[in-house]
Amino acid sequence: MVIKVTNFERWAFMLTVPAGVVAIGLYVFPILQVLALSVTEPSFGFGNYVSMFQNPAIGRVVRTTLIVSAVTTLFTIVFSYIVAFALVQMRPKVRRFAMFLVMLPFWISVLVRAFSWITILRRNGVLNSALVETGVISEPLELIYNQLGVIIGMVHYMMPFAILLLYANLTDIDQRIIQAARSLGARAPTIFWRIWLPLSKPGLAIATLFVVIFSFGFLVTPAILGAGRVLMIAEYISVQISSTLRWGVATALSTTMLICVAAAIALAMRHPAFRSAFGGPQK
Amino acid sequence: MSVNRFSQDATQIALEQFKTGQISRRSFMTALAGLGLAATFKPGAASAEVSEIVICNWGGAALEAFQKAYGDPFTGATGIEVVIDGAGPSTGAVRAMVESKNVIWDATDGGMVDAATLGAGGYVEPIDYAIVDKSLVGEGLAAEYGICNYTFSNVLAYDTKKTGETAPTSWADFFDLEKYPGKRTMCKWIQGQLESVLLADGVKPEDMYPLDVDRAFAKLEPLLPEIIFWEGGAQSQQLFRDGEVVMGNIWHTRANLLRKENPEFTWTWNQNLLFASAWSVPKGNPAGKKVFDFINSSLQPEGQVELLRLMGNGPSNPKALELMTEDDKAVYALAPENAKNNLPVSAAYYAENEAELQNRFLDFISR
Repeated sequence: MVIKVTNFERWAFMLTVPAGVVAIGLYVFPILQVLALSVTEPSFGFGNYVSMFQNPAIGRVVRTTLIVSAVTTLFTIVFSYIVAFALVQMRPKVRRFAMFLVMLPFWISVLVRAFSWITILRRNGVLNSALVETGVISEPLELIYNQLGVIIGMVHYMMPFAILLLYANLTDIDQRIIQAARSLGARAPTIFWRIWLPLSKPGLAIATLFVVIFSFGFLVTPAILGAGRVLMIAEYISVQISSTLRWGVATALSTTMLICVAAAIALAMRHPAFRSAFGGPQK
Repeated sequence: MSVNRFSQDATQIALEQFKTGQISRRSFMTALAGLGLAATFKPGAASAEVSEIVICNWGGAALEAFQKAYGDPFTGATGIEVVIDGAGPSTGAVRAMVESKNVIWDATDGGMVDAATLGAGGYVEPIDYAIVDKSLVGEGLAAEYGICNYTFSNVLAYDTKKTGETAPTSWADFFDLEKYPGKRTMCKWIQGQLESVLLADGVKPEDMYPLDVDRAFAKLEPLLPEIIFWEGGAQSQQLFRDGEVVMGNIWHTRANLLRKENPEFTWTWNQNLLFASAWSVPKGNPAGKKVFDFINSSLQPEGQVELLRLMGNGPSNPKALELMTEDDKAVYALAPENAKNNLPVSAAYYAENEAELQNRFLDFISR
């Protein structure tokens, strides 16, 4: 099949060139420098990569990052789908208000959000006090300064992004299909499992990928809510750059992460669900 | 510490007091002068000429105020203008600057460990003691690549409501969960952490270095679930305020603020872990030798005492002691009463081992 490029598309492409040049200059070039550091610091060769794979501490950091990111993604997607689904069903007036609530966290810095969670989750915090006083529990629960706290903070951070991605997908679903199903006698659960959910796949796929990739790079939230007990890749890299001066290891780790993320995206894009999410080759 | 987290924190404390009206503008400026933070902030610090000295510290919003207190007198005496850059001279930043041969700082406010680390890497000039008067600072506070501008300590701070009748008096008490149940806080940046563990385990101060890391880890491991690790001074203070911890290994300046705020919080000077902060001069600094005149002037006792009163940063000039009241001495780590049982943290040891140790420590506490 020959894809015909229209004049309009050609012009549209030209308009993106200046932005592309800026991005290459300010983003791609420094990244290449980082990549170069990883094979030249402290001496030329792949020593940093070898020692990285042999270092059990880095292995543990990677494992922690993968576990925390996976759990964060799971909860973020499930909760966000529920919210996005509810948004689609709402009357426009209510939906506008609900949408405002979803967007609200975007205006609050990640630091403030992390400290708010401390206020809520600490041993004498709002939640534990309420639970102890109402007699639900006798001893305060350990809700922060561990993986649980980090995951709570990260899920909260990621949900608005996932909700918006899923909402965009769900509003695209043709309502006539739902009506058709109903007219053929399908009940609500059947409609959900056999129509909504399968048609949500592109949205779910893109939201999952987005949340996973974002989660790998979390720095502030794990540092504050983990209080030293949860060490993730971003913090490890940051310590190597500014404190221990082990730039070789730091850049090797950054490069490896970048390659893994790029590979994950490339791999995912082969799946039809992703291609349709990006509105790719449907024309 | 390669990021001078203490100095960063001290400036924050002063700024907060200034903002809340606890100290006047004038004393604020005088206090910061003691840190050598006097000067104006110029966005074009990169174009520093020979007629000015560029200082890099952990400053921030208060930079303009420092000019009047310190910069003007210095400029008046020498004709050299002082410019301050609050960007934060982490060892990483100094290294990047020196390697790219684009040095804009004449003096940086880091720790003695930074000075030694940077010196070993060839990133800083030796202090020129033909110009800087070594005798202005106390014994052991003048090193090849750094001279002490102020001192501070890690102390055992505690909440008297929670510790009950008998107050903890040593690091052995700190790690005694049966005697004092409840959470503790320690710092996740390594300096001064394993020392407290080893002192508790019976290691004598004179045998402290090199640190017996395995012994420290073995002692600390069963206690880890009870420890919350702080990374910034404000956070260590907040953990006490929130009632989250019984005791903490925290900076004495933060312990002092806690006590001022609420006398139920206090600390012991016993076994305090003493640190020296220091000026260093990046290699190829724009003002050349002139920077040492500035360094010399920052070692005068008057400004150093004022700084102590407002922030608790201890003078490095022993003459400052003569200017102190009893209240001043109560927060001064080097006052004879407080210093008698301290452990000076070894800059030489950390300059050699910090990177490895920091990584091992982070790995250990996050397992």
